[in-house]
Amino acid sequence: MSTAQVSAARTLVVEDDPHLAAGLAENLRAEGYAVDTAADGRLALAWLRENSCELVVLDVMLPHLDGFTLCRTLREEGNNTPVLFLTARGDPQDRVLGLEAGGDDYLAKPFHLDEFLLRVRAILRRWEWYRKASATPQSAVLRFGGNEVDFRAFRARSWNGAAQELTEKEAMILKVLAERPGEIVSREDLLERVWGYDVFPSTRTVDNFILRLRKRFERDPANPRHFLTVWGVGYRFLIEDAA
Amino acid sequence: MKTTKVFQMTALLLVIVSVIQVGWWVYDQHDYSTQKLRDARIAYAREVAAAQALLAAGASAARVHALLPDVSIADGGAAPADAVDAAFVQERHRRINQYVWESGFFLFALALCVGVISRALRAETKVLQEQDNFLALVSHQFKTPLASLQLSLETMAKRQLSAEQARTLIDRMLVDLARMETMVSRILDSVRLERGRVDLKSEPVELAAAVGRVVGQFEERARQERIALTTDVPRDLIVLADPLAVDVVVRNLLENALAAVAAVSGGTVTFAARAANGEVELSVRDSGVGFGANDSARLFKKFSRLHPGGGSSHNGTGLGLFIVRRLMQLTGGRVSAHSVGVGQGALFVLSWPAAPRQPV
Repeated sequence: MSTAQVSAARTLVVEDDPHLAAGLAENLRAEGYAVDTAADGRLALAWLRENSCELVVLDVMLPHLDGFTLCRTLREEGNNTPVLFLTARGDPQDRVLGLEAGGDDYLAKPFHLDEFLLRVRAILRRWEWYRKASATPQSAVLRFGGNEVDFRAFRARSWNGAAQELTEKEAMILKVLAERPGEIVSREDLLERVWGYDVFPSTRTVDNFILRLRKRFERDPANPRHFLTVWGVGYRFLIEDAA
Repeated sequence: MKTTKVFQMTALLLVIVSVIQVGWWVYDQHDYSTQKLRDARIAYAREVAAAQALLAAGASAARVHALLPDVSIADGGAAPADAVDAAFVQERHRRINQYVWESGFFLFALALCVGVISRALRAETKVLQEQDNFLALVSHQFKTPLASLQLSLETMAKRQLSAEQARTLIDRMLVDLARMETMVSRILDSVRLERGRVDLKSEPVELAAAVGRVVGQFEERARQERIALTTDVPRDLIVLADPLAVDVVVRNLLENALAAVAAVSGGTVTFAARAANGEVELSVRDSGVGFGANDSARLFKKFSRLHPGGGSSHNGTGLGLFIVRRLMQLTGGRVSAHSVGVGQGALFVLSWPAAPRQPV
């Protein structure tokens, strides 16, 4: 593993092909990022348990521990570092698997360098926004209807006192909605802000996440008072009860 | 393929329907014969009753016997004859025997058909699945060097590079291209070998010369990678094999050994040979990454990957050892792999039948 530079956004490239790993690392460095590399899943997991970084570029088919399992393990351990999957298997089913494992984006091999860099920038920009938007003690905590969300710790306590562990996407969706309380936020807007441009083929994914948030935070998820559907457009988030 | 499957499924369905029909026929036969027997018994009981009535009305026993000969008449009364009852039982057994044997034969034949067709269907599904896996693996094997190639080219187009950096990228691209070229020829070889579509000869081959030719081509690479490459093959060892196949297996094993040793930054690769029990053994010993005790069988499977950068390194196709085993099988030889463990080096042993000694 190479040593990291300080100051710039730190990334970890997990790729067993040395040429590809070297090429990715050189280009990321040329863009001003600090880069570490790991040649297999086990080494990467060990590195991520010891160190932190802003982005993991993760190959799927890796020796010892595949990329999906690695990503799932990280999420289970509460590590929310964004992950960009790189894989030779580019079918939609695989893409969904990657995103379900907790990945932020998915790029099929062979890929264009510019597209790769664009996606890296997009993921980092989304996280930069999220971090900035949760920087002050006021913006780090959201209270509504007896629920309390801690954006920095990805934790929440719902109205009935239950402790909730939020996934990064749930937290980001909440953040986007909380920034514009009472306003209509379209599904496309949510997709763009939370996932990026073309990661998911449909906006139904957003609906599924809203359902999950309702289950966590609504007293009666069937009759929501905070996460309201605006038919054909998107959602409206209310801090106060809708009734 | 799809039409065949539809045909097989239809045939299977027809056979299953036939089984049901035979079952129905057996039931029907059973029902019919039971009914017939019951009717016969009722008719006979009526005959006995009629005989009894005649006797009661004063008819003589001889007269009644002449009219109803199957009824037993004794002591002025009519009774069912034992012989008739036995005949009924016999008739029942005869009928049961008949339909049980007939239906048994048909059911056996049909079960055989069901077995044959479902086996064919299962085999076909397995073949399709293997083909899918093969394609998925092949595409994976290609996409990585392709991605690397594209990345190198786009880096050259996008960045201002020094001459040294450009040279590094060009070298990488050349290696990636060579990887893909090797992959294409190995995939073709493995497909041909798998289907047995190869015309292999069986002729005397001088082992020392064959090994020497291959080793000669890799000496430069071994030197660059700080690998000591030595051969100890006696000149008088002649094997019975296909000369091209010997060349391919020796080459693949040597490439495998060099990759395994390069992964641990240098070491040794040694060829040695000896004659034993009508066979000639060629061993390739390396001080490379080795493998776990349970992995020796998996090594020879298509696209098996044991270590990063090891015997199945990024330059490997995952087909080299598969081809070695298949070629050895097809030419009457054997190959085995041994290692004490990861990091402990490896030993591959090839055995061919020894060629009979030529008269001098």
